[in-house]
Amino acid sequence: MELFVGKILPYVTVAILLGGITWRIWRWMIGRIVHNITLAPFPSSWGAAVAWILWQIVSFWNIFKFDKPLWVGAWPMHVALVSIFGGHVLGIATLGSQFHLLLPWIVTEAQSEAASNALGTTFGLIFLVALLYLLYRRFAVEKVRVISAPSDYLHLLLLIVIVGVGDYMRLFHAVAVEYLAARDFMLGLILFHPGPMPVIHETGLMNWYFFVHFLAVQIMLIIFPFSKLMHPFGILWNRWIYNRPYPEPPMGMPGVKLKL
Amino acid sequence: MPKKIVKGQELSQPARASARVLKRLYVREVPDEHKPAEALKWLDYYRKDRRSLVMAMESCVKCGVCANECHAYLGTKDPNNIPAGRADLMRKVYKRYFTVQGRLFGNLVGAEEITMDTLEKWYSYYYQCTECRRCGHVCPFGIDTCEVTMAGREILWGIGMVPDLQGAASAAVYERGNQGNMTKQALIETHDFLSDEIEEERGLRMEFPVDKPNSDILYVPSSADYLLNPETLKGACQFFEYVGANWTISSHMTEAGNFGLLTEQHSVQRELVERLWRTVAELGIKKIVFGECGHGWRAWKMYTPSLTDYAIAGAGYDYHKRVPIVHVHDEVAAYVKLGKLKLNPRDNRLVPVGQSVTLHDPCNYCRACNLIQNLRVNLYASVPEVREMTPNGEKNFCCGGGSAVLYDDPEMFELRGKFSLKKVAQIKATEADILCAPCSICKAQFYGILHEYHHLDIPINGLIDFVGAALVFKGHRQI
Repeated sequence: MELFVGKILPYVTVAILLGGITWRIWRWMIGRIVHNITLAPFPSSWGAAVAWILWQIVSFWNIFKFDKPLWVGAWPMHVALVSIFGGHVLGIATLGSQFHLLLPWIVTEAQSEAASNALGTTFGLIFLVALLYLLYRRFAVEKVRVISAPSDYLHLLLLIVIVGVGDYMRLFHAVAVEYLAARDFMLGLILFHPGPMPVIHETGLMNWYFFVHFLAVQIMLIIFPFSKLMHPFGILWNRWIYNRPYPEPPMGMPGVKLKL
Repeated sequence: MPKKIVKGQELSQPARASARVLKRLYVREVPDEHKPAEALKWLDYYRKDRRSLVMAMESCVKCGVCANECHAYLGTKDPNNIPAGRADLMRKVYKRYFTVQGRLFGNLVGAEEITMDTLEKWYSYYYQCTECRRCGHVCPFGIDTCEVTMAGREILWGIGMVPDLQGAASAAVYERGNQGNMTKQALIETHDFLSDEIEEERGLRMEFPVDKPNSDILYVPSSADYLLNPETLKGACQFFEYVGANWTISSHMTEAGNFGLLTEQHSVQRELVERLWRTVAELGIKKIVFGECGHGWRAWKMYTPSLTDYAIAGAGYDYHKRVPIVHVHDEVAAYVKLGKLKLNPRDNRLVPVGQSVTLHDPCNYCRACNLIQNLRVNLYASVPEVREMTPNGEKNFCCGGGSAVLYDDPEMFELRGKFSLKKVAQIKATEADILCAPCSICKAQFYGILHEYHHLDIPINGLIDFVGAALVFKGHRQI
C-alpha cells in the first residue's frame, strides 16, 4: 500500500495531470473562433481586454456584482487555496524560512517559521469553512441544487477530506508532519529515489493521516484534467473569445451635403 | 401544436414547419428513428468547428450565478431555463459521447444518452432561450449560453426540426430577400404612402428611392418596419433627406434582420450576406447603413466580415472594409455630437408636451454591438424627458421575444408573457408615458405582449422615429 501510493502512484499522477491538461487544451484549440463575438462594452485595446480578464480572475468581479452570497464563500476559498498551494511549495522547499529569505534583514528564520505556521493554519481553516459553506449552499439553494450533478458534490467532498485531514495534522501536533520530513519525502520523489512516507515521530509508526492526505491529493490531481476542476484554464481560453477589442469603422457618409 | 409529454413533464414547443416550408428551405427531415444519431454527428461537427461551443460545454462549474439573471428563469422558474441548466441539456449528451469522465462514469457526472426525448427537450428549451447574452455578461467565466442555443438550433435545423415562424421567414429570404415576403411593388406602394404622410406632416415631400443606380448609401430597413413600424422608416428617410444623402433602398435585399444568425448560420445567414454584397456591387454603393434591428445589427456588424470569405465582384480581399457597414444610430450620433443636426425635442410630434420616454436597450445592441452610448446621445437630443430603466445598458433585461421567440401558439404566447415579466416591471417602475424600443423584434414582442398580455397601454416607438420627428427642416412647418 505504502509502496504503491508513496512510490509509484505519484509518477502516474503527475503524468496524467500534465498529459491530461495538455490533451484537454489541445482539444479546446481544435475549434476556431469563427466570428468576433466579443461582449460589449468592447475593450478599447488588447491591453484593456487582458486587464479586464485578469481583474475578473483576481477579484471574481462578476460573482461579487451579481451574487454576493456566493462571493462570500467562493473568493475566500480560492484565495485560501492559492495561499495554501504557495505555502506548500515554498514552506516545504525552504523549511518554513520563505519570509526570511524574502526579507532577510527584517524577518528572522524563527519568525518566518512562526508566520508560515500561523498563515497555514489560518488559511487552512478559512479553506475548510468556505468549502463547507459552498457544500451547504449547493444543498440548500434551489437554483444551484437543480443544476448540480453528483460529481459537483463529490468534488467539494474530496477537497473537504484533503483540507480536513491537513488541518487535523496542523492542529494536533502529535500527528503533524514536520517541514524536514515532508521535504525529504518530496525530494526523494523529485529525484526519482522515493523514500518512505513520513511517520508519527512519537511512535515511529506509519502516519495514516498523511497517507490519506497524500492519496486524496493525488486522486484530485488525477481527475483534475477530466473534470470541471480545469476551470482555471477554462476561464483564460473562454474569456479570450469573449473579451477582445473590435475596430469600429469610421463615421461620416460619402456624398452627403451636410458633412461631418 | 399539442403539448409533448416527455417523462411526465409537459413541454411547450413552437409549431413545426410543414413539409412544404422545409422543401423551400432545402431541408430534408430525417425520420424520427435516425434523428438522435444524426444530431450526434452534427454535435460532433460543431464541437470541432466552434471553440465557443466547446468552452461552453467544458468550462461551467455550476455556480448558479446565471440563474437569477435570466429573465426566462425568473419568469418560469423552470430549472431547464437556468442558462447553466439549458446548456446542460446539450452538455449531458456532450459528456456522454465526447468526454472521458462521461464515458467512464456516466451517471456520476450527469451524462446521458441521446434519444428522441432529448431532442424534443432541445426543441422546447432552445426555442425558449432568447439569445440575449445576459448570462454571458454575468458569468464569471464569460460562458455565453447563446452559443449553445445557436448550436442547438442549428443541429435541430439539420435534422428537420424547424419552427414554422423561423422556417417561413427564412424561406421568404431565399425567395425575395426579406423575411416579410414583400414584393418590390409592395415596397414602392408603402413608400408612396409614407411620402404622402410626411408631406402631410411637414409640408415637404420626401421620396424613398428604390434600386437607384449609382447611390452612395444603401439603407437597409427591417422588413418588419413595412408591416408594423412605419414611423421608423419615416424617421430614417427624414434623416437622410436632412443630411442630403444620395441614398437608396434595395428591393433585392430589404432585410436588416437575419434569422440565420439565430437558427441557421450556414445557409440562411449566408444567403442574405451574399444578397447584400451583390446589391452593393450592382448599385455602386459606398457605405451601408442599417436600420433598427437588434439581432440583425449583430449579424451584420460582427458576422459579415467573417462571412465575407469569398471574392465579390472582383473587388478584392477586404471588401467589407472598403464598403463599411454602419448602424443608422452611430451615424446620427456622430452628427448629434458635433451639433450638426437641428433637433427640437420640445416640438416632437411623437412626444406630446409633458410626456416622458423610457429606453429599452435591445440586448444585441447593448451586449453584442457597443451601441449603448450612441442610443442615449440620440434619444436625449430628440425627446424632452428620458427616464432610464434600472438596470440598463449592458445589464438590461431582454424584452422576452429576443431571437424571434415571437410565437403565437397559446402556450408559447403564455411563455412570452412570462419571459417579459421582468421587463414589464422595469417599464412600470419608470412611470414613463412612451416606450422607445429601437429593435424590430422588441417592438413586435411589446405590441403583442404589453397590450394584450399585461394590458399596459403604452405607445411604442423606435428611436429613429423620435429623431426624424424632432428634426427641424429649414422653412418647413413642424407638426
